[in-house]
Amino acid sequence: MTTVDSQARSARSGRTSLGKPLSGTAFALLLAAPGVALFLGIILYPLLASLVNSLYRQSLVLPGREFVGLENFGDVLGGDLLPVLRNTIVFTAGSTVIPFLIGLSLALALNQRMRGSAVLRGALLMPWIIPSVVASFLWLWIFNANYGVLNGLLVRAGVLDSGAVWLGDPSTAMLAVIIAKSWASFPWIMVMLLAGLQTVPADLMEAAEVDGAGAIRRFFAITLPHLKGVVGIVVLLEVIWNFHHFDIIWVLTGGGPAGSTTTFAVDVYRTAFRGFDVGSAAAMGVFWMIILTLLVVVYLRVMERGERR
Amino acid sequence: MTSAADVGVRDTRAARDVREAHASPDPAARHGRRRRRDQRRQRLAAWAAIIVLGLFGLFPIYWMLVTALTPNELAFQFPPQLVPSEPTLSHFVDFFDDPTLLRFLFNSALVATLTAVLTLAVATLMGYSFSKFRYRGRASLMYLVLSSQMFPHALLLITLFMMYSSLGLLYTYAGVVLSFSAFTLPLCVWIMKSFFDTVPDSLLEAGALDGAPRWRILISIVLPLAKPGLLAAGLFAFVRGWNDFIFALTLAGPEKMTLPPGLVNTYLGEFQTSWPALMAASLVVSLPVVVVFISLQRYLVGGMVAGSVRE
Repeated sequence: MTTVDSQARSARSGRTSLGKPLSGTAFALLLAAPGVALFLGIILYPLLASLVNSLYRQSLVLPGREFVGLENFGDVLGGDLLPVLRNTIVFTAGSTVIPFLIGLSLALALNQRMRGSAVLRGALLMPWIIPSVVASFLWLWIFNANYGVLNGLLVRAGVLDSGAVWLGDPSTAMLAVIIAKSWASFPWIMVMLLAGLQTVPADLMEAAEVDGAGAIRRFFAITLPHLKGVVGIVVLLEVIWNFHHFDIIWVLTGGGPAGSTTTFAVDVYRTAFRGFDVGSAAAMGVFWMIILTLLVVVYLRVMERGERR
Repeated sequence: MTSAADVGVRDTRAARDVREAHASPDPAARHGRRRRRDQRRQRLAAWAAIIVLGLFGLFPIYWMLVTALTPNELAFQFPPQLVPSEPTLSHFVDFFDDPTLLRFLFNSALVATLTAVLTLAVATLMGYSFSKFRYRGRASLMYLVLSSQMFPHALLLITLFMMYSSLGLLYTYAGVVLSFSAFTLPLCVWIMKSFFDTVPDSLLEAGALDGAPRWRILISIVLPLAKPGLLAAGLFAFVRGWNDFIFALTLAGPEKMTLPPGLVNTYLGEFQTSWPALMAASLVVSLPVVVVFISLQRYLVGGMVAGSVRE
């Protein structure tokens, strides 16, 4: 029924080819076809076409376009590229490190299996589940300069004399945005690390404890090496997601004040959909894509290694 | 080592007291004491982390609830009241009296449901293909699809917007659902694939030997076994569609807009945002996804972990 070749292939992959090999492949391709069509039509083609747009001067809403070569790239290089790159890196670093530390601390604490930790874990998922727009509204209101609860608490505690304009001041706006984003993403990291902690062998921990290894020593000698895989993927995914995050920044500051929170995502969106300047947006997008592609390639390498194992 | 473990575990208070009274030089006893002190310290650290970070995580949610219950006159007060003195449900009543907001709510429900159905259908077929068949290009295709969830939305929206407008898909439900589905697909394919991976091949072979056609094996043998996966993937797609902002903001238009961008357009940009009304509306948008998630946590967390980290 099966050819020698396909049997050999099956042996290698540990699976059978399910009956007649040729029509099996055809069937498999047929199954994948709708997904491939969706992927090509809605994601890949628009992405590549957007990149090609960087060579033209073109309006989002008016027909017609004019080939201008590398002019758009020159404009972007001489214009906003460096501040935008800097903002994106600051946002990405802050919004990865802070929620990671929060998520790790909570995962370690909740892993102690104290009474009520399951309920707490469920409740702590909320910031991540609710729509990002709701998280943005919430922090917009908390950071509100006139009536916000943060200023209320700080003034009442005597830390501040009068309310600070958190989101309206270029020196604090980025920090405020990072805090809001960290709030929205720490639960995911917490859950992933909690799942990772289940793979730490309990008897190994017990043995180390009995041998007199302290909590910190045990964390670095046993817990961390077992978490390495999960930590790598969580950090990498957070970096990639933060690198193109849009929602919370857009609602909280729209990229302001004075461009201090304008990241790639905000800049490209604003240039294209508020300024209708497709060419400049696409040129900025090319730089964005180059960095993102490098990150994604690293991610795929890591995933592939996990798959082969 | 074994004896020390026994002492540590079975140590009784009385035994410890006796040993301490005699200032026993027994190293096992010293070990036991140190271990207990260590454990106490560890618990203390755990509680400190939980209280401080838990407050950071949950206070904003509490604040959303408090503000939504506060009458307008009291909301614009500095410093704000941490416990509402005169709670009111009027902001919720107002939400359900507003025809524009109700239309957004209807759009959200419709679009998220259609997204879940379409994504589930496409992701099931694709996940099955990736899991149970081996063909040239399969691995490349898998990683291409996986990587697509990392493409920058803002960038490809530019062409998508122009493409939709020339195809007549701009400002239609179909256009919005297609874009949601495409972006939810990678995660759902991954979830379905990892569930199909757990279905033993021998079951499929048995079906094939009985002469069942291929599609029948999928429908009557494999799908019933992958029910938790279907549930997880379907809910994920629903939640993604429900929560999405940037695609609905750009592609839906004023009539077909879902709640997240609808609320931004309704409340922000006014001279004075009505915060209690906005917080009430935020609770209304959040409630369905929170209820779904908390009640089905078991499936979703499993699916989520399977979807992101290959075990």
